[in-house]
Amino acid sequence: MSESLARGVVRPRRQIWSIGGGKGGIGKSLLTASLGWQLARMGKRVILVDSDLGGANLHTCLGLANPERTLGDFIRRRAERIEEVLVETGFPRLRLISGASDFLGAANIKYPQKVRVLNRIRALEVDIVLLDLGAGTSYNIIDFFLISDLGLLMVVPEPTSIENAYRFIKSALYRRFRNAVTHDGVRALIEAALDQKNPQGIRTPLDLVAAVAREHPEEAALLKAEMAAFRPRFVVNQVREEADAEIGYQLVAACARHLGVRSTYAGFVHYDEAVWRSVRQRRMFMVNAPRSRAAEDVSRLARSLVQGETLRLSL
Amino acid sequence: MSMAHASHYETLGLTSEATLEQVEKAYQFFAAMYEDQALATYSLLGPEEQLEARTRIREAYEILKHALERPQDDSQLAAPAALAAQAPPAPLPRPTSVRIEAPRAPRLLPEPVTGASLREAREDLGVALQHIAEITKIGVRFLEYIEGDRHKDLPALVYLRGFVQEYARCLGLDPRRTADSYLSRLPKPDPQSR
Repeated sequence: MSESLARGVVRPRRQIWSIGGGKGGIGKSLLTASLGWQLARMGKRVILVDSDLGGANLHTCLGLANPERTLGDFIRRRAERIEEVLVETGFPRLRLISGASDFLGAANIKYPQKVRVLNRIRALEVDIVLLDLGAGTSYNIIDFFLISDLGLLMVVPEPTSIENAYRFIKSALYRRFRNAVTHDGVRALIEAALDQKNPQGIRTPLDLVAAVAREHPEEAALLKAEMAAFRPRFVVNQVREEADAEIGYQLVAACARHLGVRSTYAGFVHYDEAVWRSVRQRRMFMVNAPRSRAAEDVSRLARSLVQGETLRLSL
Repeated sequence: MSMAHASHYETLGLTSEATLEQVEKAYQFFAAMYEDQALATYSLLGPEEQLEARTRIREAYEILKHALERPQDDSQLAAPAALAAQAPPAPLPRPTSVRIEAPRAPRLLPEPVTGASLREAREDLGVALQHIAEITKIGVRFLEYIEGDRHKDLPALVYLRGFVQEYARCLGLDPRRTADSYLSRLPKPDPQSR
């Protein structure tokens, strides 16, 4: 397995999907668990990876006890083989690698190391690796998002969640630029853009590309190519009314117009009492309430992701 | 037409083949997206930029709607639309100032009211004769006779009173007193002619 994976070489199988969103407590772990469960039910071999900083609880979402061995053990060489930290969930084709809170935060591993870890996971007998990224927009989290073949950005229809999602997108894109660019002048502009109050007045990726086109025109094409290849997919969770689901289309349009980012709308999940009732009982709502609206939404989302479909505004 | 409107279609995220219905839907979508405090845009745009975006969307919508509602402007017309193009021009837009069906304080013109003073009052308000004809259902020809004081061409006085009253009402004039004054200048009706 080569490092070229980081450059987005897509393989027909063995895909890494990540679920981020910047804000905590909006349902990323629940979505990871239920989406993984559904994909497994559809016949895919799935490995869930909990990379939630300080709040690893994917095992709880699956109704499991705290796993004894974690990915941290593998990274710190306490476990020699990645198989040793792989946990069966009790559901066919669905396995788990727990992050157990010491993985990313304390380890602070470097980018090539992250690629290596993911490649080891990908080398397992698996069709889809689902990464639960947890909250935040730190490089540790963003790098995993960028390494993935498919990046899901979860939001709930609330101001803080959407602000965080935009921050996540900007940070991820600038990080992507930073990884691709070698030109010192352009690097300096990217660094400047990271400070929202930069004197150059660069507020969005579009401004940054314009500034690069002005000052180092020969480098602009590279940024544009990186921009075009960055395709986050939105998932709107806790939809209570029709207008909430509409926000997904608005986010896609706003990203295109004001950030220059070509995102898509993967799907939405309704707010559903059945979910928290199941969470309380430490059971999967997909199992406990398979006919609930949320369970049906997750099933639909899994199908469209596998088939590469997105929601489109019908005009 | 589509060349001139290309940027408006783009503003609404549409291609120039879009129908009126699509223009309407796109407008509703973007109006909601750029609404004051709208979740999807408030943190990306400042209040002024949001307002600017709303204005641009609204402008694009109104221009395209107007263009699409008047298909005779287009050179490539289907047969039914071609017929519509030959039909008489659409009625003049109604100036809002004359939608005074029951004025609170009816005006009076200086005595005696003549055809010329009626015309002057109408023109001061910028009201087309066709517009009065539309409201009163009185033919433009008869209205012209009233304004031209062409009394010989006017219909019987019993109708004339009604016509002048309707005309006066349209201009916010006191109907009865205007008609009285106008008719007072006419020769007394010959009982034989009835």
